[in-house]
Amino acid sequence: MNEIADITNPSKTIKGWVELYFTSLYSWALYKTASRETAEDLIRDTFLAAFQSMDKFEGRSNPKTWLFAILNNKIADYHRRNLRSPVVSTQQQSDNTAYSLFDMLFDRNGRWIKAQQPHDWPDESEHLLDDAAFNRAMQRCIEKLPATWFSAIQMKYLEEKKGELICQELQIAPTNFWQILHRAKLQLRKCLDNNWFKK
Amino acid sequence: MKKLMNILMLSCRKATELIEKKSLDGLSYKENVQLRMHKSMCDACTAYEKQSKLLDKFLHRHIHTPIEADIPFIENNDLKERIVAKF
Repeated sequence: MNEIADITNPSKTIKGWVELYFTSLYSWALYKTASRETAEDLIRDTFLAAFQSMDKFEGRSNPKTWLFAILNNKIADYHRRNLRSPVVSTQQQSDNTAYSLFDMLFDRNGRWIKAQQPHDWPDESEHLLDDAAFNRAMQRCIEKLPATWFSAIQMKYLEEKKGELICQELQIAPTNFWQILHRAKLQLRKCLDNNWFKK
Repeated sequence: MKKLMNILMLSCRKATELIEKKSLDGLSYKENVQLRMHKSMCDACTAYEKQSKLLDKFLHRHIHTPIEADIPFIENNDLKERIVAKF
């Protein structure tokens, strides 16, 4: 199929792009949001935005690169929105998970429950990043996080910025942000411990 | 003395919170002292901090997966057809 944009016929061009790139884009959106509904919305918006600004594309780059750039912007916007003003159901889910997480890990005085105490992971753990099975286990653990925690993790590690700066941009309280990260890390640690290190 | 101990003593829950705060925005002088005291007596939180740093590395790499990477392909033909039909 011809990959060059035919700007005289944007409708035909975009249909060709959907055929070629839909699955890559959709899989990526799922990987980056862990939500089917969100991924579907973002993909619809991405193709619509591409269609509407086809005149700006002008075949200067590879259409796939261009579509991924549009999608990545939309993914980042989704995570920002999630942190800035989590919808009530998301907030509720986040709170409930936090209470049960703290109850599971710590006793009433905030001490580790014996069975939950962290013990050192093996020394060679850093090399795990090259292990495909470990990365899959990691992805499954990340996907289990409540939506706002997932978004906090994405924002923190994507943006390479100090927490303070991220919070300024999002207009959220820093305390709130690192408390979310604290919960997310506790849960991820436990999930990896159960599903990888103790296996 | 008891009052002083109360100021200095952290619960493990609070200590792990400070460990995360430390890596994100740094700690105040008092928080630093509290955390160091706590870790000197608590192996579990010392292990937690090491694992937390390792998790940072894992997460950084995981989230910077390049788009060309070998992520699982997931089909959704229903949505694909609906999008094609729109244009």
